[in-house]
Amino acid sequence: MAGEDAAVLARLRAGDQAAFRELVRARHGALLRLAGTFLRNRASAEEVVQDTWLAVITGLHSYSGEAPLAAWINGILANKAKTRAVRDGRMVNFSALAQAEAADDPFEPERFLADGHWANPIRPWAAMTPEREAGDREMLAVVAAALETLPPAQRAVVLLRDVEGMDSASICATLEITEANLRVLLHRARTRLRAVANSAGNAP
Amino acid sequence: MLTCEQVAAQATDYMEATAPLPRRLGIWAHLRICPNCREYLRQLAQTIGLLQRSPTPPPDTATEDALVALFAAQPKRD
Repeated sequence: MAGEDAAVLARLRAGDQAAFRELVRARHGALLRLAGTFLRNRASAEEVVQDTWLAVITGLHSYSGEAPLAAWINGILANKAKTRAVRDGRMVNFSALAQAEAADDPFEPERFLADGHWANPIRPWAAMTPEREAGDREMLAVVAAALETLPPAQRAVVLLRDVEGMDSASICATLEITEANLRVLLHRARTRLRAVANSAGNAP
Repeated sequence: MLTCEQVAAQATDYMEATAPLPRRLGIWAHLRICPNCREYLRQLAQTIGLLQRSPTPPPDTATEDALVALFAAQPKRD
């Protein structure tokens, strides 16, 4: 466990309310967003996040500290969200979704010539120069909005890998997908998000 | 020599270091001579950077207070 996590955990176990408040502030939005990939119903997602916090509070003393704190909480959330999805009659099978999203979605953002070269040069994003912070903020908003429109399995892997920075093995275990599923989903999602960012980055 | 299309198709495997070594070397060699693919991979990395910095909204005060109250109500252990 990272030193920072260990310090937070010690404070939480000692009943430090400020530490718990900080944790809630830092993680609540991310948990809600993650729950949204399992459950389309906003109220269900909110309930699952509440249940997750309760499980975190009661589980603090049995948590081994082996996984990083955020990954442990994400795992609890994923389990509860899956159970809830079954109860709502909306079973989530990311493995099946992965295959469906890979098959249904022949996303070709860039054109290639017959010889495999780029049809057009790849131009650096004018909006993302250090001098243009406003453009940078706009790019952030564009990518965040595009993330919300990704198919569920792609959104889930991007959230866990790129936003949360979880390792591949933990993500595969959380979503019950194979490493191959993960790579295909991640590739499609990042390709699509880059294409969206590219349109914004080179907008006149 | 790999084509740009092949490099683009394997960009994630390359960046995640999951591609086998010979393939990674092939991509690396292509990137040395291809400014378009270099820029393409740079943009993928920039996209990930944007995702990492994308803010999540904090909970509203009522939710936050209710959760802290729940935490405070837990019996203490040592």
